[in-house]
Amino acid sequence: MNSANSAFYKKDILPVGAFAAVLLTMPFWFEYVGGYSGLDTKIVIWIIFAIGFDILLGYMGFLSFGHAAFFGTSAYFTGLMLLHYSDNILPAIAVGVISAIIMAFIIGFLTLKRTGIYFSILTLAFGEMLHSMVLSTLQDWTGGDNGLTGLPTPMLFGLKMQGDNVFYLTVIVAIVMYYIARRIISSPFGLMLKAIKSNQVRLEYTGVHVARYKLMGFVISAVYAGVAGALMIVYEPYVASEFMGWHLSGQVVIMSVLGGVGTLFGPMLGAAFMLYFENVVSVTIGEQWLLVLGAIFMLTVIFLPGGFVEAGSKIKKKLMGGSK
Amino acid sequence: MSDQAYFSVSDLHAYYGESYIVQGISFEIKEGEILALLGRNGAGKTTALSAIARMQDPQVHKGTITLDGQDLTGMKPFEAARAGVQLVPEDRRIIPGITVEENLIISQISEPIGWDLDRIYDHFPKLRERRSQEGVTLSGGEQQMLAVARALARGIKLLLLDEPYEGLAPTIVKEIEGIVREIKEMGITTIIVEQNAVAALKLSDKAIIMESGEIVYAGTAQEVLDNKELREQYLAI
Ligand SMILES: Nc1ncnc2c1ncn2[C@@H]1O[C@H](COP(=O)(O)OP(=O)(O)OP(=O)(O)O)[C@@H](O)[C@H]1O
Ligand SMILES: [Mg+2]
Repeated sequence: MNSANSAFYKKDILPVGAFAAVLLTMPFWFEYVGGYSGLDTKIVIWIIFAIGFDILLGYMGFLSFGHAAFFGTSAYFTGLMLLHYSDNILPAIAVGVISAIIMAFIIGFLTLKRTGIYFSILTLAFGEMLHSMVLSTLQDWTGGDNGLTGLPTPMLFGLKMQGDNVFYLTVIVAIVMYYIARRIISSPFGLMLKAIKSNQVRLEYTGVHVARYKLMGFVISAVYAGVAGALMIVYEPYVASEFMGWHLSGQVVIMSVLGGVGTLFGPMLGAAFMLYFENVVSVTIGEQWLLVLGAIFMLTVIFLPGGFVEAGSKIKKKLMGGSK
Repeated sequence: MSDQAYFSVSDLHAYYGESYIVQGISFEIKEGEILALLGRNGAGKTTALSAIARMQDPQVHKGTITLDGQDLTGMKPFEAARAGVQLVPEDRRIIPGITVEENLIISQISEPIGWDLDRIYDHFPKLRERRSQEGVTLSGGEQQMLAVARALARGIKLLLLDEPYEGLAPTIVKEIEGIVREIKEMGITTIIVEQNAVAALKLSDKAIIMESGEIVYAGTAQEVLDNKELREQYLAI
């Protein structure tokens, strides 16, 4: 058992190490490819969101169109904590993530009984319900359409959470969460998720309490969304109402599909690509960028249903085949 | 102790939606016994087994199912499995997308756990050979072995075998028969449904014959083997 475990760990060293190396050195190379400081932090935050989303979509096989609910709930609670309790980010993030977890238990319990399109529509409905609550009923708390403004500069042990500080904080969190995701995927629980994806009914007949595992998978993915939402507020102390909206839910779906679901790496790549495209490439191609992005998305889905990752493995195969 | 019913079904009525299939059957099995459940095509045998294993279909409208003092009647499928019922269905229901070994491991994640992997592989060397192959790509016979092995991977009290020999070559049938004999020796209470009635009866202690959702005969397996008229009337053999 022990040796098997350490073999597992070894399997993680290379990918997690490479991931860490790329992210940690980003400030040194990112500007040479047109990036700018701040965008790197945002990319890392979205990567965290995408990792968790892949656990749900790629591994468990449930397409949520309402994941903004968890990103947004956590963002609002993090913002409210910073505003009303303390500028220390630790209690703020903790409360933010816990609120996302609670929300995930409620929404997951109510939606996971359905599969396929019904699940997707239900999550979308719940997400939009929260979105409209933020805009109307809860206006006094959330600032409605204007969002939650006037937050103090977030602090951590006397350190101002700005610029590089936020960047390295998010990178460290991303590395840890990537590692955890890999461990989850290769654990018996990860196997359970895979089996849920291929046939829930058969799995239940072998004696597995499928509903409970589905809820766990859903909540885990919401933890990632919650952490991302909280970090977004630490990065930029302002809670926009869009953080709760369907647009954000859709974005994480698109980046996951673009990159290639069920690989962890794919959605991370998709997240980086989307943000890079939206913020850097869009400047060069001008107003038509959304059109170009749409075209890239369509072409990918039609010709490379496995996303960028599939393209990568196809190219690799070609090169290897050619060298023979 | 051994006189008491270990497993019992009383006045069981099961439906698929509006269609009334199992129409009030009752029987008992003692611990360690094997019961052959026989009858023509469409008699309701599979339906009865599925109801006992508490599958989503059919729906049980009336009756009680008791195993080792536990009432299974209100249980969900996974709860019945945890209570010790394992159905090896006609269509095997191997989980796609995962390997042979993963299909076995999944049965061992929650209690009660039965045979460990080594013991399973010693009994089913074919499965060891093919452990990292996707389960649903196995041949029919190998899938049948996997389905039986998966049941044994859990701690079971009642094994339900639905046509374990169906569509298998004679050599594979022999292999599975050997396993069933071992299961019998281990004292696992079993219900076996089989078109090949003689093969099933030879292994069994008791037999019941169903027709149109009702039990038309109940007795010992030997009686059915000896009674040619009975077999001709209900089993056409
Ligand atoms: N899912 C279902 N929905 C509706 N009716 C069903 C369903 N499954 C089976 N039936 C009907 O129930 C009756 C009993 O079927 P069942 O499969 O229990 O028979 P069986 O005794 O196992 O037959 P066989 O020996 O052919 O396997 C049949 O008339 C069948 O058409
Ligand atoms: Mg049948």
